[in-house]
Amino acid sequence: MNILIKILFVIIIVPLAGGILAGLDRKVTARMQARKGPPLLQPFYDVFKLLQKENLVVRCSQNFYIYYFLFFVIFTVVLFFTGGDLLLVIFALALAGIFFVLAGFKASSPYSLIGAQRELLQIVSYEPAVILVAAGMYVVTKSFYVAQIIAFDQPLIKFLPGIFFAFLYILAMKLRKSPFDLSTSHHAHQELVKGITTEFSGRALAAIEIAHWYENILIMGLVYLFFASNIAFGIILTLAVYFLMMLVDNTFARFKWQHALGSSWLVALICGIGNIIILVALKR
Amino acid sequence: MPYFKKSPWIIHYDGSSCNGCDIEVLACLTPVYDVERLGIINTGNPKHADIFLVTGSINEQNREVVQNIYEQMPDPKVVVAIGICATSGGIFAECYNVMGGVNKVLPVDVYVPGCAARPEAIIDGISAAIKILDEKRKRTKEIQSGKVPLLIEPAVLSDAPQILDLQRLAYQSEAELYNDFTLSPLRQTLEELQKDFESNLFLKAIMDGKIIGAVRAYEAKGTCFIDRLVVHPQYQNFGVGSKLINEIELRFPVCRRFESFSGHKSKRNIDFYTRHGYKKFKSEKVSEKRDRIYLEKNKTEEKQ
Repeated sequence: MNILIKILFVIIIVPLAGGILAGLDRKVTARMQARKGPPLLQPFYDVFKLLQKENLVVRCSQNFYIYYFLFFVIFTVVLFFTGGDLLLVIFALALAGIFFVLAGFKASSPYSLIGAQRELLQIVSYEPAVILVAAGMYVVTKSFYVAQIIAFDQPLIKFLPGIFFAFLYILAMKLRKSPFDLSTSHHAHQELVKGITTEFSGRALAAIEIAHWYENILIMGLVYLFFASNIAFGIILTLAVYFLMMLVDNTFARFKWQHALGSSWLVALICGIGNIIILVALKR
Repeated sequence: MPYFKKSPWIIHYDGSSCNGCDIEVLACLTPVYDVERLGIINTGNPKHADIFLVTGSINEQNREVVQNIYEQMPDPKVVVAIGICATSGGIFAECYNVMGGVNKVLPVDVYVPGCAARPEAIIDGISAAIKILDEKRKRTKEIQSGKVPLLIEPAVLSDAPQILDLQRLAYQSEAELYNDFTLSPLRQTLEELQKDFESNLFLKAIMDGKIIGAVRAYEAKGTCFIDRLVVHPQYQNFGVGSKLINEIELRFPVCRRFESFSGHKSKRNIDFYTRHGYKKFKSEKVSEKRDRIYLEKNKTEEKQ
């Protein structure tokens, strides 16, 4: 019974937090650009409006994949916040990502096709660093379980600065921010219309948006794991990381996919694997 | 819930113009005017947009583009014509290739005159459009829930001009489907239609005092021939067509057999007739581009 309440709590609270984070993001971004910006609750207004719009599709089955995407993102988030297996979290999230890509391919317009291909390239780019996070945390804490990683008595950042940097590098991809907002973005980069989300409207677009809120909170949860030994300290630093991402978002222009792929693998290889090699060597 | 008021997403398109109004539209997004504080986002994607801003006049080349963008937008949607060119053709009105303002091809909801329209005026126009957007949503809901009374009754000769207008509007999509703008329903003149009244029974569907749908039929040798079932594009998918066809069948109680036809590519029409118990029984080539599919329904079959 207790676990059911916990799961329900996660399912309700996480998108609320994600929506507010997105609102805060838009507000702060506007201030960085010397604008007033939309109200804090604007993402919620957008989603509620989308739910009332007509549902236009190119292929009847395209929205099916989007709902699977949402379902697996929620599954991943529940698994993470109930202290589940970090490896399973990472692979379930990858599966959710694949459903999103399939939806983009299914819609079969040139824009969503390119968006979907770029999304695939992004998955290839960020996955090594994300897997290294799990591997690094295992090397330090001897566990893949989120509950046991959080219970570790020292901040993991102390042992895993290289892996943290590699993760920070690909964070923009996961949060769909510049310089890596290749497949779709929230701002007016219009050369691909809206990339992978081009052909989705109404409820399906709202589902994508809600899944994105879940995902963002999950990613911030992964960041939090690095500072988990002290709760207050951890939350402040996690928000600081998000602020840094907003700053990066507003500072950089978009990279080409070749740069995104090459540089993220290079950083993961040098900083991430280097970090693990040093850790293992020191322990011997 | 008034969420449409809080989150109107726009798409803008520049027709034949000097680009001045288009630049002013983009000026609305800059820090000085910052329309994002009102929740307005420039989407650049018709499928995400609620408000269609058109600047510049309509010419023969961009007519299709403007219509295409409009059709791709999910309902409810509004059109705002910005600047005098979009309103009436402006300085380009007399050009040989210019058709005029946006209202030549789309139902415009708000006009923002000016040359160029100032950002303040554009924002004012958008806020007027937001109110219309919300009204349209309420309206669609009312029609869907059957709160707006739909009246179906025989048409009289004085309805002919309205029915002809409706017929031309409703057959546009068919004409585009076959890329054939010489379809007989589009070429029919008022006199010809009035003549049809002598041989056919016409039914009209009335909502808000406007004719939004019509159908005609005549009887010959015990068969009822149904033709030109039309519904206003904005009122489609609300069951108007079903009501019309049920009613016209009732009006011919002696007929044992009903017959109608449709173009071979008009999947929606054929599906519609199939849903109402009609079956394909022959097809015939009427032109290079179009086969005619004949559909029939036997009353006795249905009763068994």
